[in-house]
Amino acid sequence: MRLSFLLPALALLAAASSSAQTFVFKGERWEINDPFKMDNSIPPKPVVDPKKGTINAIKGTIDRVSNSGGIEVTLTRKLSEVVEVIWPLPSRLKEAQANVGRGEPAKALDNVEAVLKFFEPIKNVPGSWWVRASIVKLDALDRLENDAATESFLTAFEKEEAAKLPEVATQIQLARLMQRARKGEHAEVVKESTELLGKVETAELQARLHIVKGNSLYASKKYEAAMATYLRVPVFFGSETELVPKALLGAARSFRGMDSPALRDQKLEAVSNRYLYDIIVSYPVSKEAEEAKKMLPKEERAKAEADQKKIAAGGPLPEGVIMAKPKLADEEKVEGNK
Amino acid sequence: MLTKESRTYKLAKAALLAVLIALTPVTGELYAQTKKPLPTAEKKEDPLSVLYKEAVKTFEEKKYKEALVIFEDLDAKAVDVEPKLKAVVSFQKSLCHFFIKDWPRAEAELTSFLEKYPKGTEDFLSDSDNRRGTAELLLIEAFSKQGKWDLALARLEKIRTNALTRLEERVNAYTLSAQIIVERSKNGQEDAKKAAYAQAISLLKQATADGIGTPERREAAYKLVEMYTKLGLTKEATQLKNEIDAKSNGSPVEVVRSNFQRLEIGDARFGAAESAADENFRADFYRQALTNYQGTLRRANLSSSFGRAIEAKQTEVDTLTKNFAKPSPEQAANIEKTKQEVAQFKKIQEEFNANKDYDAFISYRIGLCLLELKRPWEAHVAFLDIFENSPGFSRISGAYYYHILALRRIGRNNEAQAKCKEFISKFPKDDQVSSIALILGDISQEREEYPEAIEHYKWVKANVKNLTPEVEEEIDFRIAACLFSQVDWAPAQKAFEEFLKKHERSPVRQQVLYMSALCSFFQGKYKETKADFDKYEQEYPKGQFIPDVRYRQAIVKFGTAPRDVAGTIKLCEDWLKDYSKTNTDEVIAQMPEVYTLIGDANIALADEVDKKVKAADLEVRANAKSPDKAKYVEIKTKLEKEKEVVTNKAIDAYEAAAKSARTNPQALEFVLGELRKLLPGRGEHKRMRDLFKEIFDWNHNDPKAMTYLYEVIRSTERMGDMPEFAAESEKVRKDFSAQLAAARKKVDEIERRDKVVKEEVDAAKAAVKKLSADLEAELAKVDAKRQASIADQKKRALKILSDAVSESINDRTQEGTEKLIVFLAEKIARKIKRVKPGTKPEPGAYTSAEAEKELVKLLRLEEHRDSLVAQARGFFALGQLAVFTREPEKTAANFGKIAANYKAEELNPTILAMVGDSLLSKGDHKKAADYFGYILEHSRSSEYADYGFAGLAEIAFSDKKYADALSLCNEAIDNNILMSKELDLRFTRARALAELAKYADAKKEFEEIAKTKEWRGEKTAASLYWLGLMAERQATDDKGYNEAIAYYRRCYMTWKKYEVWAARSYFASAKLFANKLNQKDAAKVLLKEMLEKERIKDTREAQEAKAFLLGL
Repeated sequence: MRLSFLLPALALLAAASSSAQTFVFKGERWEINDPFKMDNSIPPKPVVDPKKGTINAIKGTIDRVSNSGGIEVTLTRKLSEVVEVIWPLPSRLKEAQANVGRGEPAKALDNVEAVLKFFEPIKNVPGSWWVRASIVKLDALDRLENDAATESFLTAFEKEEAAKLPEVATQIQLARLMQRARKGEHAEVVKESTELLGKVETAELQARLHIVKGNSLYASKKYEAAMATYLRVPVFFGSETELVPKALLGAARSFRGMDSPALRDQKLEAVSNRYLYDIIVSYPVSKEAEEAKKMLPKEERAKAEADQKKIAAGGPLPEGVIMAKPKLADEEKVEGNK
Repeated sequence: MLTKESRTYKLAKAALLAVLIALTPVTGELYAQTKKPLPTAEKKEDPLSVLYKEAVKTFEEKKYKEALVIFEDLDAKAVDVEPKLKAVVSFQKSLCHFFIKDWPRAEAELTSFLEKYPKGTEDFLSDSDNRRGTAELLLIEAFSKQGKWDLALARLEKIRTNALTRLEERVNAYTLSAQIIVERSKNGQEDAKKAAYAQAISLLKQATADGIGTPERREAAYKLVEMYTKLGLTKEATQLKNEIDAKSNGSPVEVVRSNFQRLEIGDARFGAAESAADENFRADFYRQALTNYQGTLRRANLSSSFGRAIEAKQTEVDTLTKNFAKPSPEQAANIEKTKQEVAQFKKIQEEFNANKDYDAFISYRIGLCLLELKRPWEAHVAFLDIFENSPGFSRISGAYYYHILALRRIGRNNEAQAKCKEFISKFPKDDQVSSIALILGDISQEREEYPEAIEHYKWVKANVKNLTPEVEEEIDFRIAACLFSQVDWAPAQKAFEEFLKKHERSPVRQQVLYMSALCSFFQGKYKETKADFDKYEQEYPKGQFIPDVRYRQAIVKFGTAPRDVAGTIKLCEDWLKDYSKTNTDEVIAQMPEVYTLIGDANIALADEVDKKVKAADLEVRANAKSPDKAKYVEIKTKLEKEKEVVTNKAIDAYEAAAKSARTNPQALEFVLGELRKLLPGRGEHKRMRDLFKEIFDWNHNDPKAMTYLYEVIRSTERMGDMPEFAAESEKVRKDFSAQLAAARKKVDEIERRDKVVKEEVDAAKAAVKKLSADLEAELAKVDAKRQASIADQKKRALKILSDAVSESINDRTQEGTEKLIVFLAEKIARKIKRVKPGTKPEPGAYTSAEAEKELVKLLRLEEHRDSLVAQARGFFALGQLAVFTREPEKTAANFGKIAANYKAEELNPTILAMVGDSLLSKGDHKKAADYFGYILEHSRSSEYADYGFAGLAEIAFSDKKYADALSLCNEAIDNNILMSKELDLRFTRARALAELAKYADAKKEFEEIAKTKEWRGEKTAASLYWLGLMAERQATDDKGYNEAIAYYRRCYMTWKKYEVWAARSYFASAKLFANKLNQKDAAKVLLKEMLEKERIKDTREAQEAKAFLLGL
């Protein structure tokens, strides 16, 4: 048992940072007004605290009023001087992510563009949300299936410094794969996504790649392989709640594809319906839940909707339902975006 | 099992903890005096300082024993020095003792340091830390290592309660106290352990009361999570853990630690689930375990964390080294510390990399949770991951076992067996081989593939060397049971006998004795059977098979010669008396068999009596004119009555058997067969109807329900033609027969008179005529009553059918309803008297319009006005009726109404398929595609799935989407989805291949269609045309064109009745003659021949041919 040295050593570990919107310059920190926080006026205006810095996007500066000995002085720093950004997840970015999950890509784009615009001048500064917002934009464009817009955005994004980050580079590769899948190059997509799966680390990317691969396998009518690929998402990446419903829907479709009179004993239609039920019960506000409702026979749809209401009201989980718990919201922490 | 497995992570965890250990930096220089050294002394270093540096260097090189010797030497030499310098030496000595693990001397030195030096090392080692706190903690550990728990705790309490102690040291003291309390209880009773955990939790809660913002508090929080987990307080553990994670600074150490803690929580939950008595809790625990396992990071992610951490630390070392070329002691120590951290990180990485099972274990745990949560498909995927990515997993045999279990649960027995075989061939010496081989045999046994099962079992016996006696016994039994099941009675009996010899005290002895006796029984060795059953009864008078043994003893009595019928019936009646109130499944299933035996015995009696009846009948005939005739008639009548009595008893018994055979389909089938022979012949149609109605009502979804219903309908219809009508007709005939005979005799007499009076003769003849007319009238009355009765019963039969349809007409999922509707439509269609086209039906005749009205009435569509599916079924029924009445327009119109008013999801596969086909033939491809698409989406396993594929393929083909058409056909054919549409699918596939210029494959397909006898018809003609067309498309010379013409000729010569294909073939041949072979005359002859054909002349090709002919 090593007791004593463990504790003094912990003194070496850093303490957590504060969570206010802050720009760090060499030698000082400025709290910054959150441009996404609106007051209750009609139309709503951004809440401005004069003591905090306010960004002047045109000039590329931040202005702050300081009171020194009764005299108000306006201090100005250039945005290019910011060395670190400490900023909790912007509400509009959060909303954009939710929009994507609910299948509202146009709304998502609207929200995410505001975030991109705000962080544009400081996109390469540690802690900036620009990269994350770009990835959400990619998601939204993918949902829109607007290949021209995606292509244009991807081409620009690839030229950015951030595109060299391994995780971002993989996201771009993923988006490219999705484009190719839409063009029907399924064999290549399956091959490349399989290769890429061995390289990516994060659960989110793994889950996304599995879905892309599953989609191409499904389109190639390789239903069994598609099912096994889709199901890896709920099995191994169950906390990726934005992606699990997509995977479950893919699995449900694959089971239907696998079904045949010879496999009647396996009751694959019922298995498929069970997954659709799971989507409705566990992810009721997702776009996939709407799709699942369309696919379920109406009697079962009614039951799923009723059960979902019961669960939402605090009722017990029906047998076999595995209610997904969202992953730790890393991005909601200030450190998460570093 | 999982808790045990979690130990495999201990190495990694130990390494992780090692990262958290940082060495106390030794930074100062030890001067002999506090005064500054003289400038002259700068050149020559103080000997004590040299000695100190040497000691520190040795210490840093981890040569603690050597360092201790130098420090002791220094201690002896440094007499005239400041107390703080003596304190430093004392502290360093204690460190050496500590690292040498000489706990008593470490304890002594530390105690001395703390007692002698209240100011500790003062500012020598650090401006802010005089090392007293560290010494206290080291002393506590020294106490702990010696099991001096109370001393350790007492010191910790002092720290905790001392207001002057630094806050974070107090926090550390709380944490250590908690750990020591738990450590102290390690060997105690379970209650003591629990109490210790509770006390520890209380201390740790105090440590974390003001948040977990500092490393010390987070450490306390980590411990608290551990305690919560051990006490099963998962909710608290998870909540706190999430809080810690949220406060994490993202260092790899914290990431790794958090990860393993998550795994431990998962293990704890899994363990709790395994031991939970309540099913609901159990599922919750598995869910919680699963969530934790799913939240753990995978190898790639962790490895990357390590990599990044090492890289960052190395950069830090490089920067520090570069920035401080000549470092101060503090800077040098900092550089050294960072280097050591790099080394520690690398060590963790190596140890983690050495653990190859990490990912596989997570998949394994996830798979187990999913299996327990009744998610076998997901479990299947989890185990697949192990086979694909971690084939060398140390628990691979377990993974195989559970994967096989998952495969069995999802109904994939073939794959399960393949997996068993794969395992056996890959790991023949694994401990799991015998159990997996047993599963392999068990699957075969379950699928009734007995020879294969026996082969697997024998293989296990021959190849697995470490079989337990229990498994060996089970295998012996299974082999015998397989032989028994495959009705190899003699070898089975031999196997059972050997089993009894080999395993005298087997728990299955009773069953083996019984089955062995059954082997004699089924071989017809009744004498041996009796002896064997007697032995069983003697050994197990209250045995579980006694009811069956008693029943079979009765059969033995019935089967032995001479047959003991009375004895048989007696045994059966005793059986019924004893077990009629027993509700076990076995007895309930046996009851119909006992009744059936009573029936069989009575039939045997009836047969005996029948022989006597026949003999008596012969006697009656032989003595027809003797005075004894009456006596023989009486004997015969008596015997006939006797036969009637026993036959009735037999029928009663069979009926009782049928009514009690709900759980015994074999007995039911047999006894219904017997009743079908007996009841209708005796005119007992009502009894027959009632019986089958009762059986039909057991389960309308039973696959045989339609057969039972058919019997109900037929018996009901027959009930109309009652025997009374025949008797009445007979009586009328008899009555009139005497009168007619008398009247005719009178005519004859009158005519024979010498003097014949014409008027008298005419009057007599008129009387005869009148009598004949009266007879006819009377018979007609009886027949009218009979017809009315038959019509009435037919009406009743339709009502029964209508009731059956009406019952499920609202339920879209009941596919059997369509079959009933078709049955009903067919019945009604039969009532219509067919007339030639254009001819008016007789007045009052039952027409198809009336049939439609009756059908609508019988379907009770008015009652189901609000039901969409019922209304759709109404249209379907009318469409089907029109099929039987051969009115295709009406069929199309009714199916068209369905198409116009119903979405696919409101219909079932039967209607979708039929209506879809109708729409396709009418050219409404869009709606047809909706219906067929829905079948493919929802009903691929239905018996109409092939309609979906064939329909969509046909639509794709007609839209010139040949690749899509080919893909649909291939999918259906490859998956054997070919019930009614095989020919259509193969024909479309062949055409799609042809259009995609895959001529060789297309040719094979067309030739296959053309040569298949069962498919002879339009598709044969079409295939020949297509073969010609393909040959034409590929032809480059005369030979090629002639080959095409040969196919075309075969088509129009052989298949004239399919005018479209014949016309196309004629015209194509003529064009080839004219355009390619330069034989315009031959073309003209052929075209003239074509245009003379009655069937062809109205085709589109004929119009084109006329124009072509003019141009020749």
